[in-house]
Amino acid sequence: MTFEDVREKAIRAWAEFEADERRLVLVGTGTCGRAAGAEELIEAIAECLPSLAPDAHICEVGCLGLCYAEPLVELRGPGLPRVLYAGLSPDDAPALLDGYFGHGDVRHDRALAVMDGPAADGIPAFDDLPMIKGQLRIVLRNAGRIDPENVEHYIARGGYAGLAKALSMSPEEVIQEVEDSGLRGRGGAGFPTGVKWSFCRRAPGDRKYMICNADEGDPGAFMDRSVIESDPHSVIEGLAIAAYAIGAAEGYVYARAEYPLAIERLNKAIAQARELGLLGDGVMGSEFRFDVKLKQGAGAFVCGEETALLASIEGKRGMPRPRPPFPAQRGLHDCPTNINNVETLATVPVILERGSGWLAQYGTERSRGTKTFALAGKINRTGLIEVPLGTTLQQIVFDIGGGVPDGKRFKAVQTGGPSGGCIPAAMLSLPVDYERLTEAGSIMGSGGMIVMDEDTCMVDIARYFVEFTQSESCGKCVPCRLGTRQMLGILNDITSGRGRPEHLDLLNEIARAVKLGSLCGLGQTAPNPVLTTLRHFRDEYEAHIEGKCPAAVCPNLVSSPCKHTCPAGVDVPRYIRCIAAGRYADALDVIREKIPFPGVCGRVCFHPCESKCRRALLDDPVAVRALKRFAAERGADRPARQRPAPKTTGKAVAVIGSGPAGLTAAYYLARLGHHVVVHEREAEPGGTLRTGIPPFRLPREVIDRDIQGIRDAGVEIRTETSVASLEELLNDGFDAVVLACGALKGLKMGIPGEDDPRVLDCLSFLKQANAGADPGLGKRVAVVGGGSSAMDAARTALRLGAEEVTVLYRRTRQEMPAAPEEVDHALAEGARLEFLTAPTAVRDERDTLKLDCVRMELGQVDASGRRRPVPIADSRFELEVDSAIMAVGQQPESVAAPGLETDRRGRVQVDRGTQQTGCEGVFGAGDVVTGPASIIEAIAAGRKVAAAVDEFLGGTGDIDEVLAPPEDVEGLAPLEEQEERRRVQPRLRQPGKSVGDFDEVELSYTEEEALLEASRCLRCDLEEPEEE
Amino acid sequence: MNSITLTIDGQDVAVPEGTTVLEAARSTGIYIPTLCYDEDLEPYGACRMCVVEIEGMRGLPTACTTPARQGMVIHTDSDSVNDVRRTICQMLIADHPADCLACSSNQRCELQKVASYLGIAEQRLEPTLRKREKDESNPFFVRDLSKCILCGRCVRACRELRGVGAIGIAGRGYDSRVTTFADAPMDATVCESCGECVERCPTGAIAPKSEVLPPTSEVKTTCPYCGCGCGLVLGVRGGRIVQVRGDTEHPVNSGSLCVKGRFGLDFVGSPDRLTTPLIRRDGNLEEATWDEALDLVASRFTEIKAQHGPDALAGLSSAKCTNEENYLFQRLMRAALGTNNVDHCARLCHASTVAGLARAFGSGAMTNSIAELEHADCIFVTGSNTTEAHPIIALFIKAAVTRHGACLIVADPRRIDLVRFADLHLRQRSGTDVALFNAMMNVILAEGLADEAFIRERTEGFDEFRACVEQYTPEIAAAVTGVPADDIRRAARLYAGAERGSIVYSMGITQHTTGTDNVLALANLAMLTGNVGFPSTGVNPLRGQNNVQGACDLGALPNVYPGYKKVDDEEVRAKFEAAWAVDLPAEPGLTVVEIINAAAEGGVRGLYVMGENPMMSDPDLNHVRQALQNLDFLCVQDIFLSETAQLADVVLPAASFAEKDGTFTNTERRIQRVRKAVPPPGKARPDWQIICDLSARVGYAMDYAGPAEIMDEIARLTPIYGGISYDRLEPDGLQWPCADRRHPGTGFLHEGRFSRGLGKFHPTPFREAAELPDDEYPYLLTTGRFLYHFHTGTLSRQSPGLEQLSPPAPVEISPQDAAREGIAEGEMVSVSSRRGVVQARAVITERSPEGTVFMPFHFREAPANVLTNPALDPIAKIPEFKVCAARIERIGTAAADGEEQ
Repeated sequence: MTFEDVREKAIRAWAEFEADERRLVLVGTGTCGRAAGAEELIEAIAECLPSLAPDAHICEVGCLGLCYAEPLVELRGPGLPRVLYAGLSPDDAPALLDGYFGHGDVRHDRALAVMDGPAADGIPAFDDLPMIKGQLRIVLRNAGRIDPENVEHYIARGGYAGLAKALSMSPEEVIQEVEDSGLRGRGGAGFPTGVKWSFCRRAPGDRKYMICNADEGDPGAFMDRSVIESDPHSVIEGLAIAAYAIGAAEGYVYARAEYPLAIERLNKAIAQARELGLLGDGVMGSEFRFDVKLKQGAGAFVCGEETALLASIEGKRGMPRPRPPFPAQRGLHDCPTNINNVETLATVPVILERGSGWLAQYGTERSRGTKTFALAGKINRTGLIEVPLGTTLQQIVFDIGGGVPDGKRFKAVQTGGPSGGCIPAAMLSLPVDYERLTEAGSIMGSGGMIVMDEDTCMVDIARYFVEFTQSESCGKCVPCRLGTRQMLGILNDITSGRGRPEHLDLLNEIARAVKLGSLCGLGQTAPNPVLTTLRHFRDEYEAHIEGKCPAAVCPNLVSSPCKHTCPAGVDVPRYIRCIAAGRYADALDVIREKIPFPGVCGRVCFHPCESKCRRALLDDPVAVRALKRFAAERGADRPARQRPAPKTTGKAVAVIGSGPAGLTAAYYLARLGHHVVVHEREAEPGGTLRTGIPPFRLPREVIDRDIQGIRDAGVEIRTETSVASLEELLNDGFDAVVLACGALKGLKMGIPGEDDPRVLDCLSFLKQANAGADPGLGKRVAVVGGGSSAMDAARTALRLGAEEVTVLYRRTRQEMPAAPEEVDHALAEGARLEFLTAPTAVRDERDTLKLDCVRMELGQVDASGRRRPVPIADSRFELEVDSAIMAVGQQPESVAAPGLETDRRGRVQVDRGTQQTGCEGVFGAGDVVTGPASIIEAIAAGRKVAAAVDEFLGGTGDIDEVLAPPEDVEGLAPLEEQEERRRVQPRLRQPGKSVGDFDEVELSYTEEEALLEASRCLRCDLEEPEEE
Repeated sequence: MNSITLTIDGQDVAVPEGTTVLEAARSTGIYIPTLCYDEDLEPYGACRMCVVEIEGMRGLPTACTTPARQGMVIHTDSDSVNDVRRTICQMLIADHPADCLACSSNQRCELQKVASYLGIAEQRLEPTLRKREKDESNPFFVRDLSKCILCGRCVRACRELRGVGAIGIAGRGYDSRVTTFADAPMDATVCESCGECVERCPTGAIAPKSEVLPPTSEVKTTCPYCGCGCGLVLGVRGGRIVQVRGDTEHPVNSGSLCVKGRFGLDFVGSPDRLTTPLIRRDGNLEEATWDEALDLVASRFTEIKAQHGPDALAGLSSAKCTNEENYLFQRLMRAALGTNNVDHCARLCHASTVAGLARAFGSGAMTNSIAELEHADCIFVTGSNTTEAHPIIALFIKAAVTRHGACLIVADPRRIDLVRFADLHLRQRSGTDVALFNAMMNVILAEGLADEAFIRERTEGFDEFRACVEQYTPEIAAAVTGVPADDIRRAARLYAGAERGSIVYSMGITQHTTGTDNVLALANLAMLTGNVGFPSTGVNPLRGQNNVQGACDLGALPNVYPGYKKVDDEEVRAKFEAAWAVDLPAEPGLTVVEIINAAAEGGVRGLYVMGENPMMSDPDLNHVRQALQNLDFLCVQDIFLSETAQLADVVLPAASFAEKDGTFTNTERRIQRVRKAVPPPGKARPDWQIICDLSARVGYAMDYAGPAEIMDEIARLTPIYGGISYDRLEPDGLQWPCADRRHPGTGFLHEGRFSRGLGKFHPTPFREAAELPDDEYPYLLTTGRFLYHFHTGTLSRQSPGLEQLSPPAPVEISPQDAAREGIAEGEMVSVSSRRGVVQARAVITERSPEGTVFMPFHFREAPANVLTNPALDPIAKIPEFKVCAARIERIGTAAADGEEQ
C-alpha cells in the first residue's frame, strides 16, 4: 500500500467520523481530563447512552487546553449544533444526553461553546471564547479534535504529508526550509532548529541519532505531555523528518516515566506508524530507513539537559558534561546526535506541509511562529494555550487567562519554570519572545507560566523554586550543588525572620556566581527566580528582614495572616477566641494591647486583616471589624485593665495634630511616663476622624470615648492651638516634637474649569458637612473618585438633599480602593456609579455645570498591579450637574522648619529607623510622612514613632502592653472547617432608606450573631510552625 | 599535528591543536586554579575553579574543557573571573570541615592551596556542613565524606584508569555523594584497594590510614612484587618507609600502583625479618656471627665438592634479587663451585616461554612493550588473569578497550575479571589450549585470513605447520576444548581481522606438560597473521616475578651463561673462562625439579637457596620436603625464615629491595634501578655482598665496589646488556637488546627480522595433560594467584591489610560442583590429589567452570602445591601446575579417610 492509498483510506474514515448524521459523544481524556473525572464521566455516559441514543458512539479525544473547564464533553447529532459542555459530573450525564439526543435541546447550564459553527441558542462559538480568541493553534492543531489513537484521523487532517514532502526533497532542502521558517527550539533556549540540524548533518559519521526530548520537568508545565497525549503522530512525523534531514536511522523519544498515558499513546502510535510503513526500512517506499525507540526517564529534572539526557539514555547517571563537544559532534554513543523538544518537532510537519513562509508570517522578527504555554496559578482560566510569539503577557494573562480571580491584584508572572524569572506587573506589556524575556531576567523555558497575585509572597516563591533546583541539581558542579544550597539557606533565613540586611547583597553575589559559574543550563538559570525577585520585589525582601511578610504567607513570620497583616499587629484570633468564649472585656483588652482606638477601628477600620483571612479560601473572610466593634461595645461594661501608672521620666513631648497617628503616639509616650502635650488647630481633637468621616459611619461619641481613654492615660490635649514654629516648641522645654498633622490638602485633577466655586474639594466639603453646615450642593451632584472619601461624599450629599448623585470612577468596581461594603451602602442609598469614566473639563454653562467626560477602557497593568485606564476615542459625553466634588487624592499641607525635608508630594522625610526628620528632635508620623493612608496605618505609625521617640529620650522603646489574662490554648487546634458557612453580615438600620439623617447606618452584632461569627475563625495562629 | 597560536593574559602561546585552554596556559607557566582537573582523566568541568574569560564566548567557560583555538584571546586572572572563583570557593569552604590542623591532608590539601591563591582569608558563607559517618572498613584508607568536595577524581580514576567502578556518585543536589554500590562499606565492594582514589583525592576525603607524619626524603625505586616493574617513590622518615606512591613519571605505571605495591610493602619493616645469621645446632636454628655462618657454609660446600664432585652441589638463584646478584650467584656456582646446577623459579613459570619463543623467534622474551598494548586494536589474552597477577598491565588492556574501542578476546577456563571487558570469552578446558589455537588457525587458513606476504617473507616451516593445523577443525576442537565451534571461528576472525593484534599470555599457557607447544602455537598464530615485529602486536608473555626476566638474562639457568649463551658452546665457554679466570663445566646442569629429584636420590648433597621458597612454590611439596631433608647441607639466604629456611642448616639474613642498590629487569625487558632507601635490619646484608663473602671463603675472590661495577662487568660479557650502565638508567631505564652505550634500547623485537632470522612455524599436535580427572579424582585442579598476595606469600602475608582483604586458604568451586558435593560457602573442605591432601575454605563462585576447582598457592595453611603434579614439559622441564586430578569433600568425610596431610 502506498502512502497515497493510506491517505485515501484515512480521508474516507475521517469523512465518516465527521459525517453530520453521526451521533457522537467526544470526551477529552488527557491526563488533565482524567484528573478532573473524565473516566467516571465516560462510565456514566456509557451507562445511559444505549437507552437514550442507541446509535451514538463515544470517542475519546485529547485535550482542548481548557483545564479550568474540565472534564469536557462535545455532543454531535444530526441537525444539531455541536456543543461543548464543561465541568460535567457523572450525575449531569443523563439529563444532558437526554436533552441533547432526546429533545434536541442543546441548552444546558454547562454549555460552553458551539464547536465548528456559529453561536447558537445563546451559546458562543468556540472560536469566540475569550480563552480561544487570541490563540493560534498550530502545535495544538489536532488536540481535542481527533482520536489520538487513530492514525487515520491524523493522516486525514494532513498528517504525514509533511514527511512525504520532505522525502521528495533533499535533506539539505529540508533543512533550508526549516531554517527559512525561523523555527527556534521550543525547549527553552530558542536555538534555530534548522541551524542545529545542519550542524548534525555536516558532522562526520555514518551513524547518527535523532532524539525527541520529552523530559518535561518544570513544575507546572504540561505542554509536551498534552501534545503527545493528544497528537502523538505529530511528534513521530517531526522526528522522522528531522532524522531524514540529519541522516539518522535511529531515533529515541526520551519521556518521563511519570507520563504513563503519553507513553502508552506514543507506543501505540509508533506501532501504527511502523505498520503503515511510516517508520522502519524504506519509509513510504523510499530509501530512507528510520525507527524510533522510547526511553523512559526516571524523572530527574536535569535529564532535560541535552548531555545529561544522553548520559541517561546510555544508562549512566544523568549528569551533564561540558560542551563543546556539542551533541551534534559527539552525542549518543559518541555519534552525532540531534535533540529537539516535543513542541519543536510537532511544528516541523506543518512547515514542510505548508511551507516555511506560512509559519514565518506569525510571530516577531526574531521569534517566528507560535508557542504553547501552560497557564497556571492565580488565574481564572487555567489551561494550555498557543499564541503567536510576540503576544504580550497582558494579553495572555488577562484576555486569554481572564485575569486574577477574586478581585485580587495581579502581582507577577513567572515564566520558564524554576529556571525562569518573575516578571512584575509593570512589565506586563512585554511581548513574549525569546529575547524580550531574557532581557527581563527570565526565560521562555518550555512555556510554564504561573500567575501570582497579591497573596503570593515573592520571597517565598524564590525560595520554593530554589528549593526545587537545589534538590534537582545533579550535584556535579560546585556552584549549582552548593550555591543553590547557600541561596536556599539565606532565603530560609529571610522567610523565617532570621534575615539580615547584608543578606541581600550576599544573595545577589551567590546568585551571580551560580549563574556565571555553573556547568549546565540548570545551574546557570537556577538563580533567575532570586535575581528577578530581588530586582523587582526588593521591598518584599526588606519587609521580611524587618519582620513582615506583606503577603502574609511565610509561616515563621506569620502566626496568623490577619494579625500579621494588621499594621498595628492586633492579635485578631486571640480576641475572637475571647468573644467566642463570652469574655468580651478580655477581648477588648486584647485589642487595646495594640491600639488606643478600639471603638473607632470597630467602625471604620479598612480591615486589611480580612483581605488575608484564610477562611476566604473556603467561603468568606471572618468579619473581623464587626467583631471588633462588638468587643469595643460589649467589653466596655467593666473598667478596662490598665498597666500600672508609669514613673514620670521628666521628659516632655509635643505632638502636633490629634488625628489617629498623633493621639496614638501621645498615648504610648504618656504610658511610658513622658509628659505629652497634643497641639490641635481645630476646636475638637480627632483630626480626620472627626472632620473627614461622617457620623453615619462613625458616631461622634465613639470618637469621644476613645479619646477620653487617651486623656485618661495622662495626655494633655490643647485644642485651637496653632504651632507657630517647631523651634519654638523645642525652646519651650519640649524634648521632642512629633509631627502628625496629616495630609489634608485636597488634590486637583488638573482639568480646565475645576476652579469653579461649585467644584468642591472633598475634604473641605466633608469637614463642613460633618460640622453640621450645608454647603448647598444643589440637586445634581457629581463625585469624582473611587475611594472611601468619594463614597462618604456621595452619601453625605444624598443626606444633604441631593437627588442625583453620580460617582465617576475611571476604572471598574474591582479596582475601587473603597471598601466593598462602603460601595454597597452608597449604591443602596441611591448613588449612581459610573465606572470607566473620567471628566476631562468643567464648563460653566448658564447656571449649570457641565462635565465633559470620556469613557475609559482598561489597558496595561501598571506597577500597582491594576490595569491603567485609557480613554476610548470618540467616547465623549456631557454630564450636567449643579456641583461637583473632587475626591481624587490629598497630600500634606506644607510644613517648614530648618532641616526638615519634604518630597514633591509634600511628604516629610524621616529616617526609616529612627523616624526622626532632618531636624534634631523632630519626628514624623502618619499621613504627613506617608501621604494619605488608612486609620489603622496611622495608628501603626503612631506606635512606631512613640517607640522611636522613647528611645531618643533614653528609654527602651518598648511600648508593648499585655492587658488580657494569659490564654489557655491547650486542646485548641486550628479549626478544620469543611462546611461552607458564609459570614454573618452586620445588619443595617433600615437598609436602603437610611438617607434621611446622619445616624449610624450599620448596626452592632447581637450577641448571638457575634458568637456565630466568632466561631468561624480558623485559629490559624495555633498551627505548629513548619519544620525547616 | 598543527600548531595554533592564542593569546593568554596578553602572552602569545603556541600549542598543538587539540590542546585545552588549561593545558595551553600551564604550558606557558600561567597558573589557573583547579580542583577536579587531573591530567590523566577526562576533563570533567565540575569544580569551576578554572573558569576564564574568552573574548567572543558567552559566560565563563572552563579552561579544562575548552579546546584552544587559533586566535583565541583569553583572560585568566581578571577581577570578574576571580570574584566568581572566590564565591564558588567560599561555597566549598562552607561545606568543608574547618579542622585543617587535625587533617592528615593538611599542607597538601588542594582546597587549601586554591583558597590561599584566591586570597580567601575567612569563611564568609554559612556552614552547610553535614555529619557523615567515616568508612574505615578498608584496611588501608579512610573515607571521610565530610571532607569530600565531589570533584569526582576518585570516581573517575576508579572507572577511567582502573576500570573497576567500585565507587560512583549517588543522590541529587546537596545530597550528592560519592558512594559504593548499595552504600556498602568499602571492604564489601569490588574495590581492589589499589589506592588510586587515595592518590587522586585533593582533600582528606580519602586518606591513607598509615601516613601519620610526612616523609623527610623520597627515594625512587622499582616495585619488588610482579613483573610489571612499576616505579615507586618511597617516602622515608627516620629510617622507615612511611609513604609509598607511584612514580608519576614512570613509563609503565605513570603513578598508578596496585594494592600490593602501594600498601603491601610492610614486609620491609616487619619485626619478623631475619636480622642475624642462624646455624642449626642440635636441631635448632641458633643465632651466629657472620664469620661463623659463612665459614660453615664455605667449609661444608668445599667438603661436599671434594667428596662428591662439584655437581653434588646446586644453587637456586632468585627472581626477587637484583640482576647483579643473579649474575654473581651463577658466577659463584659456575666459577667458584664448578657446577652448572643453577636454576631458579623461572623454571616454574616461563621456562616454556623461553624455550618456545627462542625456537620460534630466536628470543624468549615479551616481544613488545607494555604501553603498546593500549594501542592494539585486538588483544587476545589467554592463560593470564591479568587484572590480578599483573594489575598495571591490565590497565593498558582495559584502556585499549574502553578508551580506544579495541576488541578483547579472553581464552581462560575461569571467568576472570577481564571478561567484563571482553567481546568474547572462550572457556576452554584446562590443558586443551593447543587444540583451541590450532582450530583458530585452521579457521584463519580456511577463510583466507592469513597474512601471506608475511609468511612468505618472514617465516619458514609453514607447510609442515599447515598440514598439522588442517586436522583441527573448529568442530573437532570444540569437542576437545568445550568451546563452541562458532566462538572459535569468531575469535579467529576477530584476531585475524585486527590491524594490530596482540597476544598476552602467562602461566595458564606455560605451566603445562605441553607448555612449550602452547607457546609455539601462539607464536604460530602471530606469525600466521603477521602480528609480530610491529608496534602493539606480538606475543607477550607476562613474567611473574619482579626480576624473573633479569635472572634469566643473567644466566641463573643451568644451560646458559648471561645473555642466553649456551654453556655447551665451546667458544662461549672460552670467553667466560677468560673473563672469570677459571675453567668452567661444559655440561648443562640440573633444572629446579631435577635438583629436587636429585636431592631426593642423593645425587645433589649440598644446596644453596637464595631468596626462593621451593617448600611452597614447587610441585608435590611432600616430595620436596623429603628431598630437602635428604640433603647433607642446606644453606638458605632470605629476608624471612621461609618454609624452606626452616629446614636449613645455615640461614643467612639478606637485605630487602629497599635496603640495597641494583637493577631489576621487568617483563618488557626494561632494566630499571633499585635504590637503597633504608638500612637493612640488624646484621642483614645485601645478597651480592653475602655472595662475594662466601666466594672469597671458598677461594674465589670477587671484589666489587658496588652494584654499578658489577653491572659494568655484566655489560662487557652480555651483548643484550652491552649498553647498560647505571648512568644511562635515568629516568626510564633501558629495554634490551641494548648493544652499546649509544643504543637507545628496544621497544619491540623482531622488527624487519626475527632474532633467529626467519620466524619458524612449528607443528603442534595436541596432547592431553599428564593427569586427567577420573572416577577417583573427578575434579580438575588448577592453581594461580590472587590480587592481594604474591607467590608463596613470604612478602605479602606480612601485611595485615592484605591479610584482611584476602583471608587464607580458599578453594574456588563452581556452584554446580558445590551443590553436588553438598558444600556450603565458607565451609572447610578437604582437597586431595594423588600426592596429598589439604584443608581449604570453600568459596563458591561462577568464576570456576563446572568440574574445575581453583586454588591459589600463596597460603601455607592450604598449600596448593602439596597437590600439584610434578610431571614436566619434555623440553622446558616446567611442571604441570595448571592441571591435575583432585577430589573435594566436606571435612567430615575426608577425615574418615585418615589420609596424612
